[in-house]
Amino acid sequence: MPYRVGFDVGGTFTDFVLQSPSGDLLTAKRLTTYPDPSEACLAGLDDLLAQSAVSWSDVSQATHGTTLGSNIVIERKARGVGLLTTRGFRDVLIIGREKRYQVYDLQIEKPVPLIPRRFIGEVTERILADGTVRTELDEADARRAIRALAARGVTTLAICLLHAYLNPVHERRLAAIAAEVAPHVTVTLSHEVSPTFREYERTSTTVVNAYVMTAIRDYLRGLATAMTGRGYRGRLFVMQSSGGIATAEAMQRYPVRMIESGPAAGALMAAAYGELTGHRDLIAFDMGGTTAKLALIEAGRPATTTAFELHRVNNAPGSGLPMNIQAIDLVEIGAGGGSIARARLGVVAVGPESASSTPGPVCYDRGGVEPTVTDADVVLGYINPDYFAGGSITLRPGAAARAIEERIGRPLGLSLEDAAWGIHTIVNTNMELATRVVSIERGRDPRDLTLVAFGGSGPVHGCRLAQALGIPRVILPAAAGVTAAIGLLAAEVKFDVARTYVRRLDGLDPAAVDAMYGEMAAQATEVVRESAVAGEVALVRSADARYVGQGYELTVPVPGGRLDADALVRVRASFDEVYAARYGYANPAEPVEIVTWKLSAVGGAPRIALAKAATRSVGESRKGTRRAYFPETRGYVDTPVYDRYALAAGTSLSGPAIVEERESTTVLPPGLTAAVDEYANLIAETGRR
Amino acid sequence: MTPARGLDPVTLGVVWGALQSIAVEIGTTVHKTAYSEQAREGQDFSVAVFDPQGRMVAQGPYSPGHMGAMSFAVKNALAAHPVESLRPGDAILLNDPLLGSGHLPDFFITQPAFHQGALVGFAVNILHHTDVGGQRPGSQGVEGIFDYFQEGLRIPPTKVWREYQEQDGIVGIIAANTRTPDKVLGDLRAQRSALRVGELRLQELAARYGRDVLLAAMDEIIARTEASMRAAIREIPDGVYRFEDFLDDFGPGTDPLRVAVAVTVAGDSMIVDYAGSSPQTASGMNSYINYTRSYSYAAVKCLTDPLGPMNEGALRPVTVTAPEGSFLNPRPPAGGGPRAIICYRTFESVLGALAPALPDRVAAAASHMANPTFGGRDRARKRPFVAYELVLSGTGARATRDGCEAMSWAFNASNIPVEAQEANQPLIVERFELIGDSAGAGRFRGGCGIRRDLRFLADEGKLTNLSDRQKFAPYGLGGGKPGKLGRTVINPGPSERIVHGKQSREFGYDDVISFQQSGAGGYGDPLERDPQRVLEDVLDDYVSIEAARRDYGVVITGAAPALTVDERATRELRKRP
Repeated sequence: MPYRVGFDVGGTFTDFVLQSPSGDLLTAKRLTTYPDPSEACLAGLDDLLAQSAVSWSDVSQATHGTTLGSNIVIERKARGVGLLTTRGFRDVLIIGREKRYQVYDLQIEKPVPLIPRRFIGEVTERILADGTVRTELDEADARRAIRALAARGVTTLAICLLHAYLNPVHERRLAAIAAEVAPHVTVTLSHEVSPTFREYERTSTTVVNAYVMTAIRDYLRGLATAMTGRGYRGRLFVMQSSGGIATAEAMQRYPVRMIESGPAAGALMAAAYGELTGHRDLIAFDMGGTTAKLALIEAGRPATTTAFELHRVNNAPGSGLPMNIQAIDLVEIGAGGGSIARARLGVVAVGPESASSTPGPVCYDRGGVEPTVTDADVVLGYINPDYFAGGSITLRPGAAARAIEERIGRPLGLSLEDAAWGIHTIVNTNMELATRVVSIERGRDPRDLTLVAFGGSGPVHGCRLAQALGIPRVILPAAAGVTAAIGLLAAEVKFDVARTYVRRLDGLDPAAVDAMYGEMAAQATEVVRESAVAGEVALVRSADARYVGQGYELTVPVPGGRLDADALVRVRASFDEVYAARYGYANPAEPVEIVTWKLSAVGGAPRIALAKAATRSVGESRKGTRRAYFPETRGYVDTPVYDRYALAAGTSLSGPAIVEERESTTVLPPGLTAAVDEYANLIAETGRR
Repeated sequence: MTPARGLDPVTLGVVWGALQSIAVEIGTTVHKTAYSEQAREGQDFSVAVFDPQGRMVAQGPYSPGHMGAMSFAVKNALAAHPVESLRPGDAILLNDPLLGSGHLPDFFITQPAFHQGALVGFAVNILHHTDVGGQRPGSQGVEGIFDYFQEGLRIPPTKVWREYQEQDGIVGIIAANTRTPDKVLGDLRAQRSALRVGELRLQELAARYGRDVLLAAMDEIIARTEASMRAAIREIPDGVYRFEDFLDDFGPGTDPLRVAVAVTVAGDSMIVDYAGSSPQTASGMNSYINYTRSYSYAAVKCLTDPLGPMNEGALRPVTVTAPEGSFLNPRPPAGGGPRAIICYRTFESVLGALAPALPDRVAAAASHMANPTFGGRDRARKRPFVAYELVLSGTGARATRDGCEAMSWAFNASNIPVEAQEANQPLIVERFELIGDSAGAGRFRGGCGIRRDLRFLADEGKLTNLSDRQKFAPYGLGGGKPGKLGRTVINPGPSERIVHGKQSREFGYDDVISFQQSGAGGYGDPLERDPQRVLEDVLDDYVSIEAARRDYGVVITGAAPALTVDERATRELRKRP
């Protein structure tokens, strides 16, 4: 197996991992660069390869995770994006579905539409619900509308016409007209991005696709070109929100599919660690520099959603921008090492504002003046100022202490350590609330779950979070600080295609569906093959079905091979079965119709060989002691500090203790114990339950 | 607060979260399995979990109108079928207007959950069915109704399922008394599935924590909610706060209906009283007391503890009364089919009353929704049809922000997607858009009215219109202006004909019916609105250049899209007395 690299861009840090042909993992971390995050990516990859004396041409696969897409949307950064709709429906995006996401709160706001009304145009045309054309596209009107938008500065155009998911003829014609009258305008069509009914949700998905398209295309192209220039001969892969990876080329047309690319990898890897350690019901807790992400994993699988919403208000369903994409279901909050602490209304408030990588926490000495969570963690003695990010950044504890004293301690009348502990504990409380959303609020008892704590700050805070919620066990994976990047290497190459073709099962011609599936298989296989995946490409088929008259579907498996009448009988039977399991009763006398036919092409998943810990200690594992603050010890105490890389399998530790590794630090509070397993994971027991 | 015995804070938190998520799951099941457009798209239904004593402990995020009524409806169901008579798999259905939520289309169903033979609670849902017979398709007529016998089938508390078996006789009677049996039976199945899911989840919860802990948690949840609600009410200065507003009328050629309210705040409790409101009407326009209660509770909740939990505890500190025989507390058999149109006014009258005490929490009046129903014969599909529409619009301005565009108000529901409506009904939506210059001006402006035009490809068309704020505009607050009045027309354009807001009439094949809703009220003096915001509104076509000048005193010059504010002229104009 040749070399593979994974790199994951977060708000503050970019994480790197290199896997050698023998399976060894080498990891690194560096500050994310702004405005161009690819600078840090390339520099980090250059460094990592140089360290191992590997040349770019020896790397067979590079996989990238990034939250660039969601950041562009959340910050409303894109310019020149327009929308073209059927005449009479220019407000589809503004009107939405109109339901209140907080029933009783009179002060709520709707999300600001991505496209202001002035950049929305209408064209005369109309297709009906049976796919027939009622009004032909008025081409003169279309030219006028497109020219008018282009004159207003539109350079990316989303086109979403009524019922285009059934008949795309007018959307296609408009794309051709746009190419003719405004060739500089990039076009994205709703029937390609999201061929499903309900015009608002389809428009929203298409508009997000258009909104991030230019930035993502430029970014991915720039990155790929730079990598090729360095001698890389493979393709650039990108993690999708669903947890599968695809080529950067495929993502340039459907960037909406990688809108939450980074966090998906972390949740996948947390599931993999759970599997490895025999714990399949987990909470993945990924705390980086800017945000913390939480996901529930049940029976070894991260929960996914097809009703993904970007940028919800306080996690309230219905408050965000809906997107018809498959995505790992996670909650993200503004709580990270870089989260800024302020004295507000007489209390310590932390986040959601972040110092991110620039200026960064005060202790980075890069111009930050407001104290952050990392500053507090340094003052509390949890983080080693001389070994942050493996020593690549030297921290200044004095500056951190001064900032906390000035801005938190004095205004609130707190001692330095009380102020620092206050920051540490408040950010934990914020994360506790988010953890409740993914567990308690879904009726899952945290006392039955295991926490997987990773990301640069995750292991610093993970045990406290577990204690607060009564979670009995915390897995601190080996290379916890770059777990998400490792997840990129473990993901399978996957491409999904779907077609809306509404037919009753009892009146369906299996041959027609078979032919359609043939085309879909060819399309998806080609994308996966393009990814230079050797070996088998597995095809997984499914269909979204409902009883005739209903409005929502359930997904049922469609057997492989040639589709015949028997296969359709099996689809029907499994629908009744899935329906009864989900909704209590099946209605076998009612006819069933299929709405969407789906197919996923999946390339073989590369196996990540995780290095095992040595069974005997390699060198002295105890590095010394450091003064660290714990309320249980009523102040600072000499706390043993261990070298993670020297801990042998089977080693037991008891808190208070600190375990240092290059990309993170584990804090084991007093009263907790931890053991090193054979894969060098630290498994902490909180003694609860 | 010290938790009850055996209840540590984590267990209480988990049980609370689980009850809430059971309510959400009951709701999601209705939503995903329903057949009718108003249920699966409009989400015109509600769900809750009750404790064994018949107290609401958790509700899903749906229509508040059902919520306040639910508490009473469950008590009425249990009065007819005492707990001792209930077996696992039984379910009590009722739609009686007085016992339920005020009109026949709303089917309440209460299903007990047992754990090891002992009752652990109830799963409850209520769904607005497409049609339950009566004079008008959709069973929501105003005109020509003088009692509820003309509005359709009335069902007293009745076991619709016994030990998980559907009662064919009752279901058969329901099917025989609706114009849309497929939809009604489909939606009834959705209610059944949802209640079964709720029952299973309640049983799992009891199995996980034990019945005693579950019941103790339910007590605790209600007690804590009540305490939190009382604390919030205590913050409002004591006093009697009055307000009055009017509904346009109760049908063509009738007088306006007066809504008079006196809200008494005394310590940690409140009384909302509607003495002085108009007498009950010989039309469909009556709001039975449970429905009046619902929206009064909802308004109080919005102004006190909006993000707190909603259960029996939140209702206890509030008493709602209306004189018997008034249109807000009619005597049976008064008609009540179209009562949804009344809810905005009861809700807004409470907000209006408390506005002087809580100026930062209230909002000006919202655009009014239209909730018309249609019937006739679908020419292409060769079958009769009944369709329902919900034209929601913007909300009123707040003290520090504009109202929302296109957001449901007191009646919390969704619109029906054009693509969903057209797939099943003989109609084509010709427009669905905001109406320019309709929003009430103010330092913060209201949301715009919405226009939705429907072309019907049907014969024997019957429209039952249901709209309001076509005579009395949505009020502004603090110097803010009212929104523009709404209207309904047939075949908009040069030969258009006005349709009265509560008229029942015929329409022909290819006729277009246009619902043009009122704009929402503004808040604060429009002359204080930031001219740049007025410019933005002009650039986005919410406000015309003329209205910017007339309503906001802002002079805009240049040719679109390069418009600017003429600062000097604006200053001059705004100086005007």
